[in-house]
Amino acid sequence: MGRYRKTIQYVILALVLIVGGYAVGNSLFSKSVVLKRGDVPPDFLLAGLDGGVHNLKEYEGKPLILNFWGTFCPPCRNEMPALQQQYEKWKDQGLELVGINLSEDKLTVESFIRQIGVSFPILQDKDKKTERAYGLKQYPTTFFITPKGKIQEVVIGGLLTEEEIESRVERLMKSSS
Amino acid sequence: MFQNTKCECGHQNPVGTVLCESCGKPLDEELLTDESALLEMRYDGVARRSQKANPHPIDRIWNFFSSVKIAVYLIIITLVGAALGTIFQQENTLINMTESSEFAAYYKEKYGTAGVIYHALGLSRTYESWWFILLLVMIGTSLVVCSLDRVLPLYRALSKQQIRKHLQFINRQQVVYAGPLKGDQEAWITELGKQLKRKHYRVWQEDGALLAEKNRFSRWGPYINHIGLIIFLLAVLGRGIPAWHMDQYLSLYEGETRQIPGTNYYIKNDKFTVDYYTDAELANNQKGTKVVKLYETKARLYACTESCDDPLNEPVLKEVVQHDIHVNSALSYKGLQIYQNSFQQRVRFISVHPTLTNKETGVQIGDFDLLMDNPAEKYDVGQYKLALIDYYPDFDLDEQKRPMTKTREPNNPAFVFQIKGPDTPADGEIYIYFAMPNEKSKVYEKLLNDSFKQRGDSSGRFAVSVENPVVDGKMNNIKYSEYTTFLNIRVDKAMPYIWFGAAISMIGLIMGFYWQHRRIWLRIDDGQLSLGGHTNKNSFGLRADVAWALGRTGIEVSPKSLDNRRNGR
Repeated sequence: MGRYRKTIQYVILALVLIVGGYAVGNSLFSKSVVLKRGDVPPDFLLAGLDGGVHNLKEYEGKPLILNFWGTFCPPCRNEMPALQQQYEKWKDQGLELVGINLSEDKLTVESFIRQIGVSFPILQDKDKKTERAYGLKQYPTTFFITPKGKIQEVVIGGLLTEEEIESRVERLMKSSS
Repeated sequence: MFQNTKCECGHQNPVGTVLCESCGKPLDEELLTDESALLEMRYDGVARRSQKANPHPIDRIWNFFSSVKIAVYLIIITLVGAALGTIFQQENTLINMTESSEFAAYYKEKYGTAGVIYHALGLSRTYESWWFILLLVMIGTSLVVCSLDRVLPLYRALSKQQIRKHLQFINRQQVVYAGPLKGDQEAWITELGKQLKRKHYRVWQEDGALLAEKNRFSRWGPYINHIGLIIFLLAVLGRGIPAWHMDQYLSLYEGETRQIPGTNYYIKNDKFTVDYYTDAELANNQKGTKVVKLYETKARLYACTESCDDPLNEPVLKEVVQHDIHVNSALSYKGLQIYQNSFQQRVRFISVHPTLTNKETGVQIGDFDLLMDNPAEKYDVGQYKLALIDYYPDFDLDEQKRPMTKTREPNNPAFVFQIKGPDTPADGEIYIYFAMPNEKSKVYEKLLNDSFKQRGDSSGRFAVSVENPVVDGKMNNIKYSEYTTFLNIRVDKAMPYIWFGAAISMIGLIMGFYWQHRRIWLRIDDGQLSLGGHTNKNSFGLRADVAWALGRTGIEVSPKSLDNRRNGR
């Protein structure tokens, strides 16, 4: 039996390393989905206020700002006009700006959008599914995504001023050229 | 250092052998110094597989795990670690929190400084921590290596046993007999063999020597137990595979249907009931206290059959099972287990049934149903058409005094209608309706409608309100949920393997505990009989067997006198 002793030893220790490594690794790098710079954001499939269905792939190849917002969140409401202005300023240069509403009723969303005069596309999350996939902790959260589909920046909480948004948009536009 | 491992009988033994594999002569130096001491019979004196003269680095790792001492330390450390995890509540039982800062605040508030330390050390997540998992992996490794290193040499030793053993081996057993033997020796040995066979021993004979053995299989008990434990541990680690394990909580108000995240299933809470014992049912010292008799969620499980991931259409659901979930009675469907976890008494509106009235004439124009979630946008009431133009589930005003909703829950729902009819202006009249039948809401409602009137958007003659909103202290014409139930949804695909491992382990334990491996060796040298017996437990039973067989063949001895350990002391 001595012939296979070494082989058996190596096989068992290798198995221990694989199984143990997987289990320990799992406990070390697990749980919370926190998206950060360089990550590829998860895809979504959502209904838009335009009546169509949209996914993340549609925006590939263009600099994209994803803004998660709700009418119940004052900073979200406050930064909306600034976002709209920036959208108007940069859309001709290829910027895409998409607002994802945080699972509210369509009526509530439409009425607010009308009041502010938002013209960028608004998508509706359902039962907090997309929100959870993006690991949102606070509202609003805004993702700046490069044309290559990687996150350049995540801004948690309101941006408030146009200057703050603009400097980030400029950085994003630069990355695309 | 060179160690001579060749026995005087000519057998070449591996390094670390305690008793010669062939004749049983003690080889270990400690055993040689005291010739009357009992023999160390563990693993029949064979060397552990990994004992080597020149260990390789891999052998050193192997030897580390092969040590029973290390295994005992690992188990003690794991037990202490597991005990630490029970001091305070674990994070995974706090279902309303997700963020580290929330947990930190909770431990600080509930347990003070000790809680802060506990959380900072990561003990609030003991059982998912890397070090705890690592300990389990190490115990698993130790189980595999310890067993392999011992069971194979032991199996080899027991499957080719020498019948004639060294005198020292026989005389130093725990059960011994020595005495002169008269008459025909071969005939006596054969007769003794017959008697032992009646006690279910297997007997081998060789000129002037005998070996009788019984219940060898019980020696495999511990190893079968270990195989069971390894399966058990692997199954526990298997829970780390995402598809194998799900443990999440879902809150549902009465009447709500929600998708179980990550599955194709939807669950509906038809009704939640909480029942308390009446005073008559309670013991004297419990009277007047609220003791729960029943928590129950009447639940329905649906599977989505069509347009499941279609955001434009509502999913088509097919009911698959219905169950009244209460404590110890989970809803179970295809590996999905849904348990009652907790509940909250929280009134949540589902729908109202208001009436449109002309206040000037006092005429009730008609009534309609109004949902709190995704309300319809058009209503036909009598000759009038109502269009819902805005909806605030939880009405409030923002910093700029614009109406907004505070939350996504219908805690204080407000509906803005545009009323069009035969006697209204072409673009209709505006009316805001608060569904909550409390004073504060009604004050708001009046204030806002008055301002519409001043602006000229309303004539002020219409009113939307629920008739008799409160009857006998209960809300009328209003559908609401009184309780929100919290369900725990689990998938544990590892469970069958855990049971299987536990069953194997139990079989091993029973084999090892309820049977004993008994062996008797004897040899006759010049009319002198030497008998030795060994068992791994219950030597009383072995002595009784030996005394009985000797008695049947003409040698009367008391079982007690066979005990070598008594003689030694």
